[in-house]
Amino acid sequence: MPHDIRKSFVLGGALSLAALSVHAESFNWASTTDPQTMDPHAVNSTPVLSFLNNIYEGLVRRAPDMSIEPSLATSWEPLEDENGWRFNLREGVTFQNGAAFTAADVMFSYERASDEAADTRSWFSPVTDVRIVDDYTIEVLTDSPNPLFPSSIANFMILDSDWATDNDAVLPAKDSENFATLNVNGTGPFTVASRDPGVRTVLTPNADWWDTPTHNITEATFTPIGNAATGLAALLSGDIDFIEPIPLQDVEQVERRDGFRVIEGEETRVIMFGFGHEHDTLLYSNDVTDTNPFTDPRVRLAAAHAIDIASIDRVLFRGKIEAASQLVPAGISGYSEAHQDRPAYDPERARELLAEAGYPDGFSFGLKCTNDRYINDEALCRAAASMFAAVGLDAQLSTGPVRDYWEQLRADDFDMFLLGWSPGTFDMEHPVRFLLHTQDDEAKLGSWNFGNYSNARVDELLPLFLQELDPAARQEMIDELVEITQDEVAYIPLYTQPLIWAVKDNIDVTQRADNFFMLRWVTVN
Amino acid sequence: MVFFLAKRLIQSVFVMLAVAFLAFSLFRFVGDPVSQMTGVETSVEDRERLRENLGLNDPFAYQFVRFTSDMLKGDFGFSYRTRQPVAEMIASRMPATLELGVVALLISLVVGIPAGVFTALRPRGYATQAILMITLVGVSIPTFVIGIMLIFFFGVQLGWLPTFGRGGTVNLGGWETSFLTVDGWRALILPALTLGVYQLTLTMRLVRAEMMDVMQSDYIRFATARGVPMGRLYFKHALANTMVPVITIIGLQFGGVIAFSIVTESVFQWPGMGLLFLESIRFVDIPVMGVYLVVIAFFFVLVNLIVDLLYVLIDPRLRISDVS
Repeated sequence: MPHDIRKSFVLGGALSLAALSVHAESFNWASTTDPQTMDPHAVNSTPVLSFLNNIYEGLVRRAPDMSIEPSLATSWEPLEDENGWRFNLREGVTFQNGAAFTAADVMFSYERASDEAADTRSWFSPVTDVRIVDDYTIEVLTDSPNPLFPSSIANFMILDSDWATDNDAVLPAKDSENFATLNVNGTGPFTVASRDPGVRTVLTPNADWWDTPTHNITEATFTPIGNAATGLAALLSGDIDFIEPIPLQDVEQVERRDGFRVIEGEETRVIMFGFGHEHDTLLYSNDVTDTNPFTDPRVRLAAAHAIDIASIDRVLFRGKIEAASQLVPAGISGYSEAHQDRPAYDPERARELLAEAGYPDGFSFGLKCTNDRYINDEALCRAAASMFAAVGLDAQLSTGPVRDYWEQLRADDFDMFLLGWSPGTFDMEHPVRFLLHTQDDEAKLGSWNFGNYSNARVDELLPLFLQELDPAARQEMIDELVEITQDEVAYIPLYTQPLIWAVKDNIDVTQRADNFFMLRWVTVN
Repeated sequence: MVFFLAKRLIQSVFVMLAVAFLAFSLFRFVGDPVSQMTGVETSVEDRERLRENLGLNDPFAYQFVRFTSDMLKGDFGFSYRTRQPVAEMIASRMPATLELGVVALLISLVVGIPAGVFTALRPRGYATQAILMITLVGVSIPTFVIGIMLIFFFGVQLGWLPTFGRGGTVNLGGWETSFLTVDGWRALILPALTLGVYQLTLTMRLVRAEMMDVMQSDYIRFATARGVPMGRLYFKHALANTMVPVITIIGLQFGGVIAFSIVTESVFQWPGMGLLFLESIRFVDIPVMGVYLVVIAFFFVLVNLIVDLLYVLIDPRLRISDVS
């Protein structure tokens, strides 16, 4: 019987071939985490925002190279007499339920996304007012000149105000779910055909999308697969077409097989070590208990000189990492070309510096790391601990899952810690705001500066360069800031970690540095 | 009988309360749910407000009493992760776990009992030695390794069976079943084998030991001498007398199968309660973890109760003592 079926396929092949190539294919993909909600304002995390960017759209969007391009706004310009921006909206756009998109929807979405119930409200902290000029023009006022504002709201997605109001989803779900947690109505290229949270989500193209589709997907199915080995097996067996990420150690296995490809790129996440700048004593030392040697910049520099990035790259990462000198990688706006050298691997110099600081025999301290947050994080910390040991710094390593890691760091329970940072706005201002500015809960600054690194000049420079409209003057200020933080060794930036995706050979996907996966750039050949 | 049942049910409430208490006191060490629920850019102030809203700042005793009294009222709360009602989430995942567990149990019985009888009747045969060896290997290798090996052999190399998920399911009045489609059955085979292999070995060895014991007893010799047909002798007279300990162990194991399907479900991305529990641990989703553990405790209690009742059915002596 199977033979007969195959024959009829061959016979019908000539007829159906043309239809097939136009009709394109269904596409199955997997990732480790299920987007926990379909509400674009409820959770500010990569799995959710990446997924929903296929369904909802913002005023602006990011191109494959991360640059900003028009989306629901066709153009934007700074206001003349006030601080703020005017957005000219696209006409003729409809939501997936057929409702027309107008400035009222932007206004509604702004109010929704900046409400206390929304996790996205930090994006709007510089905003003082939003006003509708006409149906297709909207103005956003900011407390000071804000050249970065348009790019900072690339993930601010627009909901239909009537749809949300009618379905009782005016605000993101707080305690219980609401209609927008499970249902969607965006303007984007795809819509949700069915969703079983944690199991399967099926997307279909939006036939009325305003832009010209470049993909050829007729149906896309997403499955979260938490177990890395299962994900790899699912890809190799052909059950899925694309998976991200795959573990570094599986790269060879995928490349060895015919019909599969590994796509590698650099993520924008910089991995670094941080210090307890403000701590009076070490918590986990066996020998130094009355003081904190890391308050001395020479000791911090010694620690930096002890790290051999080239070896870490070769042994742990198969040559796939890029050494980092500052808190953003090259290519991010604000990156300081003038300061692209990181402290060289120089154990001799490290020992000299320690001796100068009064620790010729070194000392012991606690190093805190995650073991499930970054690629090879635990192995990295073990390698670093042995490199520290070589210059006399005896690191007492403790590793644990990320789920209680931040709580420990917030409780100041560390001497030195591991941290990875991806600049959310794709500008140097992001790590400066969160990691380098003195902790200030009121002003919402320095909230991830666990060791409370504090430098008055750095604090002063942040608002200055944020408001600076002249790129050269801006870069000059950032250069000064980077120089200060490098001289003081505020952190030890180590490297940017790689993005590793695996895909069947007949599929083209586009990798973006923020690790967002856009279905509209997928072609099934 | 009614008194017996009532007593057991009251006991079970205490068991579940104890489990809830233990679970709840451990949750505080699992991690911080607020860090999981918010993005990196969320301000300290917003994070604190969320913590207050969730009642995480309340004293432990107060949180525990609130959790249990809500549950007694039938309010299982909402997931921190998805905001869905926990009762709904667990209910939607339960069919997957139960079907997997039942099929695994059936495999272990259908293969385990005949294999046990066979190996008991021919204790020195080559086939017996081979069976004993293979099952020993099966029981010594950790479940997740067996699962991965099966996936790579049957899923990747041969491409016969799907590597993950439930395949096609049919919704029967809210119960998503795999039993009604070919795809559903295909997807069930590997996970059920993985989960059932330990059970199978245990059942087989238990039946074998009991059977060998029974075959030595006087009434079997007497029946043999009287010329009772072999099939009737083995499977009616002998096997029936091995069943009491076998049912005890199998019953207790079934509770274990449901509870420890976590590993199998994770390896096969099987969307059951165990996978939900794992996802919840990763996210510090306290309401889901709490309810899951209480539900599992309930299963254990229920299975024990059923085992006790089965004794009465199988062993006539217990019936007599109950009456007297």
